[in-house]
Amino acid sequence: MDLSQYAELFLAESREHLSACNQLLLEWERRPSSPEPVSGIFRAVHTVKGMAATMGYGRVADLAHRMENLLDHLRRSGKPPAGDVLQLLFRATDTLEKAVGLAVTGRERDLDVSALAAELDRAVPKQPTTPSSAAPASLPAAALAAAAPGAGRLVHVTIRPEAPLKGGRAMLVIRKAQSLGTVLRIQPPPQAFESEEFDGGLAFELDTNVAPADIEAALRTVGDVERVSVGGGGGGGGGDEALAPAESVAAGGRSRHIRVDLRRLDTLMDLIGELVTARGRLNEVAARWVGQDPTIDDIAIQVSRLSVELQSEIIQARMTPVWQVFDRFPRLVRDVARQLDKQVVFRVEGKEIELDRAILDELGDPLVHLLRNAVDHGIEPPAERKRHKKNPEGQIVLAAVRERNTVAISIADDGRGIDRVKILHKAKREGVVGPHVEVLSDDQLLRVLARPGFSTADAVTAVSGRGVGIDVVMTRLRALGGSIEIRTEPGKGTAFVLRLPVTLAIVRALIAAVGQERYALPLTYVAETVEFGTTAITTMEGRDAIVLRDRVVPLVDLRKLLGTNGGAQAPPPRRPIIVLEMGERRSGIVVDGMLSQQEIVVKGFDAPRGTLPVFSGATIMGDGVPALILDAAGLV
Amino acid sequence: MSHTVLVCDDAIFMRTMINDILAQAGFEVVGEAETGTQAVEKYRQLKPDLVTMDIVMPEMGGIDAVREIVKHDPDAKILMCSAMGQQALVVEAIQAGAKDFVVKPFQPSRVLEAVQRVLG
Repeated sequence: MDLSQYAELFLAESREHLSACNQLLLEWERRPSSPEPVSGIFRAVHTVKGMAATMGYGRVADLAHRMENLLDHLRRSGKPPAGDVLQLLFRATDTLEKAVGLAVTGRERDLDVSALAAELDRAVPKQPTTPSSAAPASLPAAALAAAAPGAGRLVHVTIRPEAPLKGGRAMLVIRKAQSLGTVLRIQPPPQAFESEEFDGGLAFELDTNVAPADIEAALRTVGDVERVSVGGGGGGGGGDEALAPAESVAAGGRSRHIRVDLRRLDTLMDLIGELVTARGRLNEVAARWVGQDPTIDDIAIQVSRLSVELQSEIIQARMTPVWQVFDRFPRLVRDVARQLDKQVVFRVEGKEIELDRAILDELGDPLVHLLRNAVDHGIEPPAERKRHKKNPEGQIVLAAVRERNTVAISIADDGRGIDRVKILHKAKREGVVGPHVEVLSDDQLLRVLARPGFSTADAVTAVSGRGVGIDVVMTRLRALGGSIEIRTEPGKGTAFVLRLPVTLAIVRALIAAVGQERYALPLTYVAETVEFGTTAITTMEGRDAIVLRDRVVPLVDLRKLLGTNGGAQAPPPRRPIIVLEMGERRSGIVVDGMLSQQEIVVKGFDAPRGTLPVFSGATIMGDGVPALILDAAGLV
Repeated sequence: MSHTVLVCDDAIFMRTMINDILAQAGFEVVGEAETGTQAVEKYRQLKPDLVTMDIVMPEMGGIDAVREIVKHDPDAKILMCSAMGQQALVVEAIQAGAKDFVVKPFQPSRVLEAVQRVLG
């Protein structure tokens, strides 16, 4: 049997179970006397063990088995776990996760788990090796005892030495014998079958009319039976075996889920993308031919409708709830908090909100970054919080909310907030803002924080020398077509809000022209359009700007920015301005014309060195000509 | 006509594998259950010829599910899926009415042998 086909499934599901393990360990740590977490952890580890053994990952299975032993002991004892035992389980879970990852890539041997295994074994108190004393409930023991001795044939059965769980097999032999007659004087007593030490030999008396040869044949059907001997004589007749009728089953109860390789969905998405492009071309042709044959218009409309539906279905199929990434964060926050001696209550909201799988996969690292920051730089040490009359336990809330075409993910702490004054000094020193600036707005603050290598360590806290790494977060978000916002108040806390498109693959865009060239601007960030000349032009810090409802919006002339006239010498007299909005920031893009609004398929774009950082990708227009997609984040 | 099977295991991985082993041997997997409660429910609904039952599952474990199923259908053909170290549980499951058991890691041939035994 080729097991490699199951490797991915094994990995995905093991990770899910280990993530559940972490969640439950945290819960257990909070409520040590509650019996539920340990049962759940036991189940999760047990499941991983079974899967790993099936895959032939001996080390993973062995480690899981040792954990399981310890958990089983803890579960039975019913006592709250000692702190060091919990820590051991946390570590073992981590190691198990590592082992799972290595096993799948064929490097199971890279991880030495012997020390941990020994530690797990030591944590289980030695128990006497007598068989379990729990009496089997449903075996007719009373009937056995009451029966007259010597009434039947003496039967000896030996289970194959290599058979697993010989006790279970022996029990099946007894059940089979009971179907033939009355079973008496079972040796060893059936309780012994429950013990792992049971050696596979058993004997009993069987009071029956069935012939010895038939008894033997019947008992051998149990499987894993090496030897049967039936003593004594007499009796006849044969046992009959009823065959179960195969009934037809209504299709209604079948599972409605199938598993699909993510790459399949990617390919499907690409194909739909091409279909959307072809649809665009069809529409253009239809518009030209509609005079000759009006039915072409009907067909074009139908194709359009169908491809829109197809598109939304496939996008839906790619959607993944955020908990798949969020679920590992409680453990992370706890660990960082412990390391730094902080007390933190961590809450997750909106777990069920869905995002395109491709976006979600990229989001893990930035969120880890921001959460670490929140614990490290945001939340104060308990003593400091007490001094400021705050609850010594800090709070961090990670929340996902759907807002129209975007999903907003916020990371909010109730810590000390960012000290704008200190940041301002540093910003001036580094020339990030002009010397006349007196107060940093949230927006400016973010720009300062997002400077590559900018560290708040000396500016805000002295906790660690690590840079905040907001620049890393920002780069990643921009690559995903997202944005980031910051809100902070001294003494009250800091919140970062990440906004992301729900899907990456197909976006609605405004097609703008510069001369004969076309550029696409994702509508997600288009706030409005105004006509050049209808509002007064002013200047702000040396740049052209317009005043729109009392707010100054700086202008960017796409002709100047791109250094092209698009094949047309003079710009048209009345040029439209597309106002982009990203969080608090706005910017007006001056173009030659606006052509249409349409859905475009975003294609990755490997920009040559030296390309302006204002493109996020490319698309193919309806007529087959490529167009570049402007990155809103690069323009505002 | 091929025999119908209900596969009960809380791990998709295990369900997939059992599914594949049985489907390749010509069985028809008509349902899957992730918990004991679901197993009991689906058994009543689907009346499968055979049930493969994991022992350790959330909500209601496999052994309790066997008891429930056998209470309503004493002829139910249930094959336990167990692991090393579960001797006592397997014995208990058989006393509860399970007809046979296989031990993880599964070897397709052993699973099919057990299935044949259970189906008689």
